[in-house]
Amino acid sequence: MIERLFTALGPEHDRALRRLLSLLGAAAVLQGLAFALLVPALRELLGGAPAGAWPWVVALALLWAGYAVVNYSGTLTGFRTGARLSRDLHHRIGDKVAQLPLAWFTADRVGGLGRLATQRVLDIMGVPANLLRQLVDASVTPLVVVAAMFLFDWRLAASMTVAAAVVALVYRAAGRRMQAADRAADRVHAAAAGRIVEFARAQPVLRAFGRTVEGHAALDAALAEQHGAGHRTLRAGVPGVLGLGAVAQASFVALLALGTHFALGGSLGAAELIAVLVLAARFVQPVILIAELGGALRVAENALEEINSLLATPTLPEPEVSRPTCGVDIELDAVRFGYDGTPVLNGLSMRVPQGAMTALVGPSGAGKTTVIKLIARFFDPDAGAVRVGGVDVRDLRTEELMSLISVVFQDVYLFDGSILDNVRIGRPDATDEEVRAAARTARVDDIAERLPGGWDAPVGEGGSRLSGGERQRISIARALLKNTPIVLFDEPTAALDAENEHALQQAMAALARDRTVLVIAHRLHTLRGADHIVVLDGGRAVEAGSHEELLALEGRYARFWRERQRAQGWRLVGRA
Amino acid sequence: MDEAMGLSELLRPIRSRLGAAVGLQAVAAVVAVVPFAAVAELARVLLADGPVDASRAWTVAAVAAGALVVWVLLTGLAGVIAHHADLDFQLSVRRRMVDRLGRVPLGWFTDRGAGGIGKAVQHDVDTMHHLVAHAALNLTASVLTPLVSLAYLFWVDWRMALITLIPIAVGVASIVRAAKRMGGRSAELDGAQQRISSRVVEFVEGIAVVKMFGQAGRAHRKYAQAADDFADFFLAWIAKAYRASAVAELAFSPVTVLLAVLVGGTAMVSAGQLEAVDLLPFAILGIGVAGPMQALHHYSHDVERSSAAAKRVGALLAAPELPVSPRPRLPEASRVELSRVSFGYDAQRPVLREIDLVLEPGTVTALVGASGSGKTTLAKLLPRFFDPTSGAVTIGGVDVRDIAPERLYRLVTFVLQDVQLLDATVRDNIRLARPDADDETVQRAARAAAIAERIEALPRGYDSVVGRDVRFSGGEAQRISIARAILADTPIVVLDEATAHADPESEALIQDALSELAAGRTVLVVAHRLATVVGADRIVVLDGGRIVEQGTHEELLAADGRYARMWRLQEQVGAALAGGPR
Repeated sequence: MIERLFTALGPEHDRALRRLLSLLGAAAVLQGLAFALLVPALRELLGGAPAGAWPWVVALALLWAGYAVVNYSGTLTGFRTGARLSRDLHHRIGDKVAQLPLAWFTADRVGGLGRLATQRVLDIMGVPANLLRQLVDASVTPLVVVAAMFLFDWRLAASMTVAAAVVALVYRAAGRRMQAADRAADRVHAAAAGRIVEFARAQPVLRAFGRTVEGHAALDAALAEQHGAGHRTLRAGVPGVLGLGAVAQASFVALLALGTHFALGGSLGAAELIAVLVLAARFVQPVILIAELGGALRVAENALEEINSLLATPTLPEPEVSRPTCGVDIELDAVRFGYDGTPVLNGLSMRVPQGAMTALVGPSGAGKTTVIKLIARFFDPDAGAVRVGGVDVRDLRTEELMSLISVVFQDVYLFDGSILDNVRIGRPDATDEEVRAAARTARVDDIAERLPGGWDAPVGEGGSRLSGGERQRISIARALLKNTPIVLFDEPTAALDAENEHALQQAMAALARDRTVLVIAHRLHTLRGADHIVVLDGGRAVEAGSHEELLALEGRYARFWRERQRAQGWRLVGRA
Repeated sequence: MDEAMGLSELLRPIRSRLGAAVGLQAVAAVVAVVPFAAVAELARVLLADGPVDASRAWTVAAVAAGALVVWVLLTGLAGVIAHHADLDFQLSVRRRMVDRLGRVPLGWFTDRGAGGIGKAVQHDVDTMHHLVAHAALNLTASVLTPLVSLAYLFWVDWRMALITLIPIAVGVASIVRAAKRMGGRSAELDGAQQRISSRVVEFVEGIAVVKMFGQAGRAHRKYAQAADDFADFFLAWIAKAYRASAVAELAFSPVTVLLAVLVGGTAMVSAGQLEAVDLLPFAILGIGVAGPMQALHHYSHDVERSSAAAKRVGALLAAPELPVSPRPRLPEASRVELSRVSFGYDAQRPVLREIDLVLEPGTVTALVGASGSGKTTLAKLLPRFFDPTSGAVTIGGVDVRDIAPERLYRLVTFVLQDVQLLDATVRDNIRLARPDADDETVQRAARAAAIAERIEALPRGYDSVVGRDVRFSGGEAQRISIARAILADTPIVVLDEATAHADPESEALIQDALSELAAGRTVLVVAHRLATVVGADRIVVLDGGRIVEQGTHEELLAADGRYARMWRLQEQVGAALAGGPR
């Protein structure tokens, strides 16, 4: 637990944490010693010599003074460390997230990150502020108490030592059982969560087909299974929690019985016994507290584990300095790539010549988007190389590569802000006039006209107020503003209404002018206009050439073209 | 007040069990004092003048031991009962939430993501666990045990009891002071957290953009700013009170109470004001009084969190339902009529205004218009995704609101743009509308939708589980959804034509499947490409939520209005760019 905390916070917090731990440890030891002083003090008082107790009381007062200093500064250090840690944790998470390869970002991980940066960070902030002290108190103080007991009666101390060992064993065993049950419960929980999200997301379809709650049996089964898993966790946890409490209490009972036996037998003074029993009570209470802390500890441990595993995710290596590029043509050389073992590209070799427009076509799943993502180095190929201007993209620093490339994706994410803000992301230091010019060229002015508020109209979270075609136009405006020699463009597959389609085509034509363009083409006119066409299938380039050359080849492309044209002429109902 | 009622309403089914658990815990809290009191009693017996009464000593020891056993059993039992009640509570609340999700108008979902809803059902109910399974019990124990202890201590010696209370009073005063300083700003803390959370989501969702525009390797500026703001705010926030909190921590600590007890006790015993034996209860119980109070302070944070979660759960359960008629009627015909229909997601922004439209049985009606013109919304009124704010949608003369939902779905099928396959077998996905359909029927639908070949090529065929055994491409998923609709075989079909520009093989197949589905039914199609619906019996042009034109393709071209303009633009797009975007 403490080790994980060190890992999560990083070396710059090592000193602060060590200081905190030593303060808390010192406080716990002083507390144990203070309890130990009870024995001689009570012995004197009960032995009928109250004046003899004063030196011990004075000793206690001195000890308290030391304890007060250590405790107070320990609490303050804990609070401060907890509060400061939020900044560093957030930044560590943020920097890591920015470095992670884009392949990492699946929907559930993205959802988890939100929770990680809020709830989990708060959970961890509570560790130095509260939890750590309780943990140190509950483990160190009882040990000091047992050690001190040896000074007064070795037999009782020995039985106490046995009790402490049993407590530790029960604690570990209970912890293991809980962990196993927890893991099982987590799986069931995740499955049920998936069903709930599916149920909510698929509501339109479920409704359209008359399947409401009663109809979605899989969801109810998942909820029932979750209920069952809860019972199993409970069954696994109860013996541990009860057992810990029982063992702690039993050790007190044993001490009470043993002590009474010794006292009645005369081998232990009555005053001594009573004083030792008072001390023993100080042993029992922290142990019970530990049992109750279990839940909070698990929460904190899980939070730390989650953050540590995020921070330990490997990122793409980067060179110290970029190798100089020559020109901006792009080359894929025998590239192999797969997602989680499913191969997507199987030794793809292709070229995107400088200053021309290259179109990429192929059935869905052929790896077209993967090609774009490899060029922009969202991830690295498993084998082969991707070169820009003759240099492997792995030998370029990210800033360098990004200064050469703009990518316009199909699915464009807009930040919650105005239209202008979103265009400006392309080049944050651009003047308002430059931003507007780029926006006008990309036909974003139409959008500004449509929305109340014009250029300053908010686009909504993720761009929810705009249609897909409109979002893509903003993305094109960003690319225009960024003004890079290379443009990678993923044409929308979705149908757009006539006006949107028209505007998008104009925007794209503006962007393609005088640049090196690689476009994943879905529209016939795009193909017709391309200088060079590469046909992907099964993770390889099966044909390449100009539109006319490929048509003449009578191969895959020609078939593709004809199907496309047939689809274009389709009518839902024949003309009467 | 409302939320409080919401919570007690939620807890009603398990209230008696929770009550029993609290009762047991209360007894346990009192019993917990006995063993420690017994030590003092034992001291009295052992230190009494004259010979020791051994049997009495053993009795005292036995009582202490018995009390400990009883305590363990009672707290254990109380905990188990409360946890069992909580598990049942979680299941029942989740079922109620899911049930409600199945009844709210679909418009309700657009404002909330599925992820957020999943969070409410799983995470918030989990968070309430503390409230249900722990809070009441902890409160009982943390309040009752110190109170009983104090009562006993006052009975033993009221002056010593007051001395014991000195550090505790200091601690309570400090906590009150800390709470006063921090309390007013806890809403601000929530706000700062909220900002961080939305920045994270924005940052992560927009990661591609962040990477592409030269901010790679460094967290997005806004996120970093939110993180700094949060840290600054939090430091300032606790700085107001952390000294007071630290003083409280020290005052409540057992060492401090011990010092007070021993200084006061030694003085009083020395002065002959107190029997030494009477000091023992204070040394044992007095030291422990503060602990639970401190715990109470820690619990309060959990309780706050749980209550906030309970509030969200309550809000979801209170979401308005799409009303269901108590006396449903059955339409005899399938003529669809919309009369003076208006609709808006909220009052300020009407999406549809005064729509009058008739769909004659067996005809195809196409809805066209720019995005945002309301065509998809209009189509969604038929299967009652929403109810109109005014006006009525009738099928065979019966208002759709008066048709029992399960009957309505036997009349209308909706093929959506956004295809949703369930994590179930392909077979179950296809026979969604009629779960009892036999294999023959399922296969026929799959063949008609031109997806049978793909399914039969899978190792497990129709038993393949979507998402585990097979991942369908967008075009394939489209065809499965069309197979669903073909199998549902309803007289009325609402289509969203949005398949253009999928990969060409897929697109042509989807189109074949759609033509198959449309044949012989009353069809309302939301069209994006005008060419697709040139042959429709009627084309309805929407603009700004109103019908601006309607008629056949030829009539509309002749009218030379909005439709004719759209048509020319679309033709021109094709022609002008035939040479390519150069």
